[in-house]
Amino acid sequence: MVGKILQEIKASLVNVDFHEASYERNGYHLSVEARTGNSPEIAKFLKDRAFYIEDLFCVDYIDYVELVYFFNRYKELCRIKVTLKVDAAKPVAPTISDIYTMARWYEREIHEFFGVYFDGHPNLTYLFLHDEIDHYPLRKKAVPVPDEAKKLLNSYKPQEEEDAFFVNLGPQHPSTHGVLRVVVKMDGEYIISAEPVLGYLHRMHEKMAENRGYVQFLPNPARIDYPGALLLNLAHVATVEKLCGIEVPERAQYVRTITCELNRIASHLLWFGAFPADLGALTPFMYAFDDREQILDILEDITGSRLTYCYFRFGGLYNDVGDTFIDKTKAFIKRMRERFSMYDKLITGNVIFVNRAKGTGILEQAEVTKYGCTGPLVRSTGISFDIRKAEPYAVYDQVDFDIPVGTVGDNMDRYHVRMAEMEMSLRIIEQAIAKLPSGPFKAEKVPKKLKPPKGDIYYAVESSRGEAGVYIVSDESDTPYRMRWRVPSFSNLMTFPALAEGNLIADAIATLGSYDIVVPEIDR
Amino acid sequence: MMEAVNNIVDLVGWEAIKLVIGLVGVLVVVVVNALVLTWAERKVSGHIQRRIGPKEVGPFGLLQPIADTLKLISKELLTPKNVERPLYFLAPVIVFIPVMVSFVVIPFDAYLQVKDINVGILVVLAFSSLSVLSILLAGWGSNNKYSLIGSVRSVAQNIAYEIPLLLALLSVVLMANSLSLRDIVESQKGLWYIFSQPIAFLVFFIAGVAETNRTPFDLPEAESELVAGFHTEYSGMRFALFFLAEYTNMFIICAITTTFFLGGYQGPILPGFVWFFGKTYLLVFVILWFRWTFPRVRFDQLLNFSWKLLIPVSLLNLIITGGILKL
Repeated sequence: MVGKILQEIKASLVNVDFHEASYERNGYHLSVEARTGNSPEIAKFLKDRAFYIEDLFCVDYIDYVELVYFFNRYKELCRIKVTLKVDAAKPVAPTISDIYTMARWYEREIHEFFGVYFDGHPNLTYLFLHDEIDHYPLRKKAVPVPDEAKKLLNSYKPQEEEDAFFVNLGPQHPSTHGVLRVVVKMDGEYIISAEPVLGYLHRMHEKMAENRGYVQFLPNPARIDYPGALLLNLAHVATVEKLCGIEVPERAQYVRTITCELNRIASHLLWFGAFPADLGALTPFMYAFDDREQILDILEDITGSRLTYCYFRFGGLYNDVGDTFIDKTKAFIKRMRERFSMYDKLITGNVIFVNRAKGTGILEQAEVTKYGCTGPLVRSTGISFDIRKAEPYAVYDQVDFDIPVGTVGDNMDRYHVRMAEMEMSLRIIEQAIAKLPSGPFKAEKVPKKLKPPKGDIYYAVESSRGEAGVYIVSDESDTPYRMRWRVPSFSNLMTFPALAEGNLIADAIATLGSYDIVVPEIDR
Repeated sequence: MMEAVNNIVDLVGWEAIKLVIGLVGVLVVVVVNALVLTWAERKVSGHIQRRIGPKEVGPFGLLQPIADTLKLISKELLTPKNVERPLYFLAPVIVFIPVMVSFVVIPFDAYLQVKDINVGILVVLAFSSLSVLSILLAGWGSNNKYSLIGSVRSVAQNIAYEIPLLLALLSVVLMANSLSLRDIVESQKGLWYIFSQPIAFLVFFIAGVAETNRTPFDLPEAESELVAGFHTEYSGMRFALFFLAEYTNMFIICAITTTFFLGGYQGPILPGFVWFFGKTYLLVFVILWFRWTFPRVRFDQLLNFSWKLLIPVSLLNLIITGGILKL
């Protein structure tokens, strides 16, 4: 099936160069270079074939900067890399934001980090940075920022004789889950438009990666997505392993799967506590934290930390797990199963909860490719897309599990999907524990200083919020030439303005709560 | 000594002295009740949420409300720059007056009542609808968008829920043939009205919870949407007054429910006021239980619930009651 799509692409696209790529080595199926700046046509072509925008970023090669677009499909995974070379001295590129809405943010991000201008972009302002940055942060050589380019998105003045008024939800607000700011234009209780303003937690992890060795970057992913630290830890480690060709022992792979799923449950439990709190029920929060505490205790035993885990190493694990870990995990599974039935009675059937969650915040299935959202958000619309199934990593191909999907994509569906996913995670852990082989937990002869071969690679894992991908360009040195993080919350949040528009503020808050966004992940 | 007392009595009359003593008593009840309720809310919420609640200050944390009060009194009274100063200062004061007046007519025991007015229930309802005025003043005077939205919600909510509140009480008034609270209690000697008027009881209690802005109807201060609603800009003792008024309102609604539906101070063996407070605090516990179990309803759902369900049901109930009594 993938071959057929690739053939169609190869036959139909004109004015492009096809570069050799192999899925086994690079993580994507086809590399297309837009020779004449025709990336919008390619984007249009791919959008008609149900491709979603996976990522859009930039790499600076000093002579030129290269825009890299990643497109992928929810059905039959087929990852296409499209590149577009832009003159470094006068960087102008055509926008694809009218085709893929998500590109609005990606292009603003590239604009502030690389100084690339996009023709036809509706508002090319800063997304993360403040206006006192002197040089484009991600350019390899110092390029000063011209004053006229320093544009912030901060002019919210209501028109005269207008009834609407503006409310800033955040950055300090009880329900924004971190320091997210949403500028909401309201008419009474109804929202006319909502615009997220990002950057309050921006820490430039991508720049940090370029300045330190692969091993030194190990603790960083845990800071990008703190509730699901191990999942991003795995994304980073597995990408580098694949790039360097390091074989990981089977026992390590099994332990990785078990701990990742434990972490996924912990992350979902945090959401499970926070979502009813957004609807005004404060008690589930305490119950969820009670359960989450058990997971934290289990993971603390083996990783040494309770939140920002850094447990995986290139070629294996930091240390082996013992019998106590197995026993504790088994006890936890038993306990958690009983708790789920209690949660069902307490919350799922509550008439006020159902009335609030059902039919609100509906995400249309036809819309999702425009944003490239992933994870429970896209599964709630009925698309069964999960990286764990689509391109299995660790030992997900050796355990049996289903992908829970919703039907209409409302807040209730997202609730059901996440609850079912937790139960599915328990099933995965149970099977993995039963199959856990003995043997080494770490590959031998992994060099202390990694110098991967020249090349690029994209590798994705399913984090608790969706597809978390890492793209690395290596130039054979001990630091990555460019490391790009594709994070799920970023593209998931982009759907919020459309879902909030025309709805009551209470519903918008509930919708934002159902996304399970993590702000450090969005801001990176 | 006796002569002096007699002289004063002659001068101002028994009624006035009784009223002054009563009002002082009411003030004590209001403050003590608010302290007890804050403690109770913390303990109840703690146990519902698998915690133990306050336990450090005094036995079982009983002195915690006093520590809180001291903290609130000693805090600086912050006045934001852009507030409408007269309204902003007036609101927390006004919130307290209707609360005090309502206590005057409530019969705590057969002879423990400040003043039995023959239109007692009308006094309570009239003054309790005044509290919405202070919320509106607070919301408008704070010059804060969250406060304003909160107070606007509060006004709409109070108007919508006062109607079923009144209609539910009217069916009891029809049966008791009096507006005086003591007469209503006395008429429940045989059968409490909760058994003869169960629908009115439910409607009244639900509307009462909505009137006091408690979960699931706590929209004026919905913290996940409006930060703290109408009292966002208030701090220190001004905030404490709103807080105090909320708990006292809760007590009043429960006290009225007890008076109208649960036989008031009537009960065997134990003295009347024990029965009265026992029944009232049982209802208060139910309201606390609501808060820590239910999510919040949405604004349109809230209004629909009142206009489309509670009002028709209570109207129907009133008509049926009237018809049966006529027969």
